Amino acid sequence: MRKAIVVLALVGIGVMLIYAVGEMPPMGDSGNPDKVHIAPRYLEHGEEEAGASNVITAVILNYRGYDTMGEVAVIFCALCAVVAILNREKPGLSRTSMDVSGVKASVVVRTTIRFLVPVIIFFAVYIILHGESTPGGGFQGGAIIGASIILFTLAFGLPESTRKLPLRFRIPLESFAVIAFLAAGFTGIVFGVHFLTYLMPGLSEYAAETIRHIMMMVIEIGIGFAGGIIFTSIMFAMIREDQCELQPDSP
Amino acid sequence: MDWTLNLLLLMLLLATAISVIRIKDLLAAAVVFSAYSLVMAILWTQLRAPDLALTEAAVGAGVTTVLFIITIYRTVRKED
Amino acid sequence: MNFNRIAHNLNYVSSVVLFLLGLYAVAVKPNLVKKIMGLNIMETSVFLFMVSIGMVGSGNAPVVTEGVKPATMVNPIPQALILTGIVVAVSTTAVALSLCIKIHEHYGTLNASEILGTGGPF
Repeated sequence: MRKAIVVLALVGIGVMLIYAVGEMPPMGDSGNPDKVHIAPRYLEHGEEEAGASNVITAVILNYRGYDTMGEVAVIFCALCAVVAILNREKPGLSRTSMDVSGVKASVVVRTTIRFLVPVIIFFAVYIILHGESTPGGGFQGGAIIGASIILFTLAFGLPESTRKLPLRFRIPLESFAVIAFLAAGFTGIVFGVHFLTYLMPGLSEYAAETIRHIMMMVIEIGIGFAGGIIFTSIMFAMIREDQCELQPDSP
Repeated sequence: MDWTLNLLLLMLLLATAISVIRIKDLLAAAVVFSAYSLVMAILWTQLRAPDLALTEAAVGAGVTTVLFIITIYRTVRKED
Repeated sequence: MNFNRIAHNLNYVSSVVLFLLGLYAVAVKPNLVKKIMGLNIMETSVFLFMVSIGMVGSGNAPVVTEGVKPATMVNPIPQALILTGIVVAVSTTAVALSLCIKIHEHYGTLNASEILGTGGPF
């Protein structure tokens, strides 16, 4: 009965939305309202104004830098929430029931992944560093780093990957994106311009562009590595099981 | 943009979405959800969004699916 | 209704249908993991809608290269917004799924009706 009411309401919403689709301008037309306002300016002047020939990177880091900074903080808050709910793994003690059961991935899988993971991470670093000129950037590379470490954990188990990526290594990296963004933002204030301005006044053109390039690169690397490590930490927190932990030796 | 391929991808998208909702086995639903994300990634390349395709392929088909599978592994597999 | 326009805007139509499918799963399915899957489908439908708005029929990716005029490129703003949106979507999914794990530890079930103690479909 309630299911029927829900379906009826959904049909009503659907009819209204489809009617609205009929009133929208035809898709793919280059004269649509979204393409006459600000998009032409971003596309034509993005390279000299924002310093990145990939206009998406220019929009993310420069034109809408505040938005991205808040978004980086959102990922960090998600990690904080997951850790608050499920707690971190205990170094050397945390196991999953798969590790305890003694079932191991086959030799073929482990050998393949041992060769594949460095290549994937290399590809991710390439994507992060070339985000200004080709498709790619911090978020894309970070997601690939996270996926590669998850792949490693699924084949080799939680103890092995927490030994390779211990907590004392991950905790500083997790907040690196927010810190890099704030540092780049306050650099502008130190030079007497607005927060998150990349072009510093009072310098020669070459020096200003070099500083802008370095700042954008630092932010991209920060987002990339912090994003990857945050995904890894979320996954470690979710995969560990309390009842499978070894007891520490009593003194 | 190839409109035939676009139409085919949209139909695949709808088919996988309906399968995700109808399948009772949550593990199978998670795997079909991974296929849904992969179809979405191909659609992003058709819509001239290579950045989104990269992210969706790594996040949607990789990270989200693994998180779903971990949750199903630690809770229940059958939907009732 | 303008059926010609609807037939031309198939990307918008499928994003509407995907949104309704996700909303159906969130509203009707009792299992919490299934509800989160429906939420993910809703999110991707909105992403598809926004990127389709910025599409240009025979456009190029918004990367400045030799011999490509800016006028033939697709709109970069929706793509930049959705790029951050995808990452936020996986963050919210991770938080929701960890809550699911805790709920299962506490109640022993993921059925929303059983957790609420009602016999209804919610």
